[in-house]
Amino acid sequence: MVQQQNQQASVRRDLDGNLVPELPDLSWMDKTLGWGIKARVEPFGGGMTVDALNVGVYAEVPDHIPFRNRLPRGAYPAPGAGSIGGYYLQDKHEQWADCAGLLYEEAISRRWSTATDIPWDTACGLPDDVELAICQLATELSQHASVETEVISGWLQNLSPGYHEVKLFLSTATYDSARMFEGYRKRAMINGGGMMLESPGGMNRAIMETYAGWSQTVLGMWFIRNALDTTILRYLAAYGPTEADRTLAARLIPDRMRAAAYATDHIRFAISKKPELPIGFQVWLNGVEFAQARDLRDPVLTESLAIIFGRGVAGMDAGMQIVRRLLQDFVKTYLSRCKQANLDRSKSLTGPFQMLLAGAAAPPRPQA
Amino acid sequence: MATEARPEKYITTFQQLMEEGRKNGYRLDWLLPRETFGARLDSTPEAGGLLLQDIDRGPFAEIPDWSDNMTGRPRGSLTRANAARVGNYSVRTKADIWLKNASQLYEEAVQRQWSSAVDVPWETMEELPDDIERAECQLATFLTEVEFVAGDVPGKWISETTPDYYEPRMFLISQIMDEARHMDVFRKRAFANGGGLMSQTTNVALSGGAIDSARDFTEMSARLHISGEGLVLSIFRMGERMSYNEAEKAIYRLAASDESRHVAFGVMHLQYLSQTDPKRKEEIHSYLDEIEMGLVAGTGGQNPAQRGTPSNAALAILLGGGSDPASMMEGEQIALAVRQRQVKEYVQRVKVAGLGERFENGRANATLAAYVSA
Repeated sequence: MVQQQNQQASVRRDLDGNLVPELPDLSWMDKTLGWGIKARVEPFGGGMTVDALNVGVYAEVPDHIPFRNRLPRGAYPAPGAGSIGGYYLQDKHEQWADCAGLLYEEAISRRWSTATDIPWDTACGLPDDVELAICQLATELSQHASVETEVISGWLQNLSPGYHEVKLFLSTATYDSARMFEGYRKRAMINGGGMMLESPGGMNRAIMETYAGWSQTVLGMWFIRNALDTTILRYLAAYGPTEADRTLAARLIPDRMRAAAYATDHIRFAISKKPELPIGFQVWLNGVEFAQARDLRDPVLTESLAIIFGRGVAGMDAGMQIVRRLLQDFVKTYLSRCKQANLDRSKSLTGPFQMLLAGAAAPPRPQA
Repeated sequence: MATEARPEKYITTFQQLMEEGRKNGYRLDWLLPRETFGARLDSTPEAGGLLLQDIDRGPFAEIPDWSDNMTGRPRGSLTRANAARVGNYSVRTKADIWLKNASQLYEEAVQRQWSSAVDVPWETMEELPDDIERAECQLATFLTEVEFVAGDVPGKWISETTPDYYEPRMFLISQIMDEARHMDVFRKRAFANGGGLMSQTTNVALSGGAIDSARDFTEMSARLHISGEGLVLSIFRMGERMSYNEAEKAIYRLAASDESRHVAFGVMHLQYLSQTDPKRKEEIHSYLDEIEMGLVAGTGGQNPAQRGTPSNAALAILLGGGSDPASMMEGEQIALAVRQRQVKEYVQRVKVAGLGERFENGRANATLAAYVSA
C-alpha cells in the first residue's frame, strides 16, 4: 500500500515556492520495532500507568543506551539522528530504580497546593520568639529545597531519555522540592517574620559539588539531607506549634519519602549491578557526613528547633532534649536507608554521626 | 551576620529573651526580628488562598536588577560571611529572565495539575483503521520525543539562575512537571490502542536541537517558548479535528492548557526584556529572523507540521481521515490551514511581546504575509 502511494507522488509548489511532493512519503508507516501492543488500564482504579506500557518488546530496559539523543525507548531509531550533546549518563546502573515509574504515578496522583490546602488562618497567635524560630527554620528548609531544585533540574540534561521512568520521577521530585520551598517561604512571610539567616552551606556545597556522578548526588541529597529534613518534618507534624505548621509538615512528608524511596532503590540497584561501587560510596559518605555534622555544629538550626519544641526561649532546655532525640532519629533513618540499599554504614559511621546517634552530641553551647 | 533596622517595639523584648537564653548557654544572636515582623498577610479561600505573588514585602520583595547571591540563599535572607560560593549562576541580571507574572503562572500550574493515568478516558478508545492508528502512533512518537526537549532544557537554566529570581525558576519547574506529563501521555497514547512506537525524528536538528544549543536564556526561551511550544500549541488547539475518540480530545485539551502557560511565559519575558533592556531588541530580532526562516521553510524544530517529516504526513492522514490519495490531499489542505494558524499566532505573540515593529518595517520574513493572507 505504502509503495503504491509513493509511486503516485508528483511534484507541486507551496506558498513559499518550494517544491513539495504531491503526497508525502509514507515509508515510515512500517518503521516500528513492535506493533499491535495494547497496554491495559489498571483494574482497580489506577488508570493507565507508565509501568503498564512496558509490554512485549517494550518491556526490555537495556543496561546501556547507545544514543545521546532523545530517542524514546523502543522507538525505531533514525540512523542519521545524531547526538544532542548531553545525556552522558547512558548506563542503567547510573540512574535506574525499579520503583521510579510507580513513584511518578503516585506523585501525580497526590496533587495538593500550599495556597489552598494549608489552614493558614491558624498560623497565628504564637509568642514572638516561637514565631521567629519558625521563620528561621522555614528559611533553612526553604533553602534546602531550593538547592534541591537546582541540583535535580541540573542533572536532567545528563540522564539518558532511554530511562524515561527516572526522568519522569525526577521531574516530580523537582516539583515537590519547589513546593517545599514556597510552602516554607509562605510560612515565614505570613506573620511578617520573613526570611532570616541563610543556612551554613556545608551540605549545600557537598550536594552541589558532587564531581563523581548522580548516584553520589543521591547519597548526599536523599540519604543524608533528606533524612534530616524528613525527621524535622516528622517532629513538626507532631510538635508544630500551630495547625498550619503541623499540616504543612505532614503534607510534605510523603513528597520527601518518595525521593527517599527512589534513592534507596537506585543505590540498591546500582550496587547489584556493580558490586565494587560501595567502596567509593563509603568514602563519599564519609565526606558528606562530616559536612552535615559541621553544619549541625552551627547552633542556629538546633536553637530554633529547641525554641519551637520548648514553646519559647524559656523552655529551650526541654526543647533541646527533643532536638537530641530528633538528631538520633535522623541518624537512625539514614542508617536504615543505607542498610536497605545494601550499603551498611553501621560499622563505618564517622565520629560526629556516632555521637549524634548516641545522643551524646548535645548541640554545642558557646560560653555565655 | 548582616544587620538592619528593626521595629523598636520588639527590640526590648528580644534583648530580654536573648539575655535569658544566653544565661543558659545558648547563642541566639540570630533571634532578631526583621522590619516586617508582625505584619500579617491575609489569605482567604475565596481569593485563591495564600498565593506566591502576594507574600513578599519589604526587603523580601526587593528584586535586584543584578544579583550578587552566590550562596543559594533565599531572596531577602540574611547572609553568612563564611558561606561557600556554590551558586555559579550565569543568570544574575534581572532582565535576562524576568517577567511580571511568573508567580501567577506557577500558581495556576499548581492548580491545573492533571493525571494522564486517570484524567484521560482511555476506555473510550476503540480499534481504528490501521493507517489512522499508525498515524496516531507516529505523531505520538514525535511528541514524546520533543517533550524531552521542553523538560530538560529549562532544567538546565533553573540550575543556572540565581534564587533571587525564584519566581521564573518556580514557573520553569512547573513546566518540567508539565512536560513530563506530556511525554508520558503521548507515550501512553502510542500503546493504548493496539499500536506501538514508531520512527524517531530523522535528525536532532528537527527535534529541537537548536534549543539545547542556546547559550543565553532569552535566546533559548524565544526558540522554545515562542517558536517550538507556540507551534505545538497551535497543533494541540486543532486537536478536536484530528481526534478519533474522547481520550484523544482530552489529551489535546489538557496539554494545550499547559502549553499555553509555557508560551505565555516566553511572551511575557520577551515583553519585559523589550521594555526594560531595549538595547537587546536588535539581538532578539535576530533570533526571530532565524525562527521565521524555520517557520516558513517548515523546518522549525519541535514542529509536527514541518514538511517532509513523518509527523507531517501523519497529521495529513489524521486530518484527512485516511492514507488514500484523496483523503491525504484533503488532509494536506487542512494541514496548510494549521500552518497558517501557526504563523498568525506567532505574529500575534511577537506583537504582544513588544517586537511587532518587525511586521511594519519590512524586517519580518516576507513569506509570513503570504501565510497570513492565504
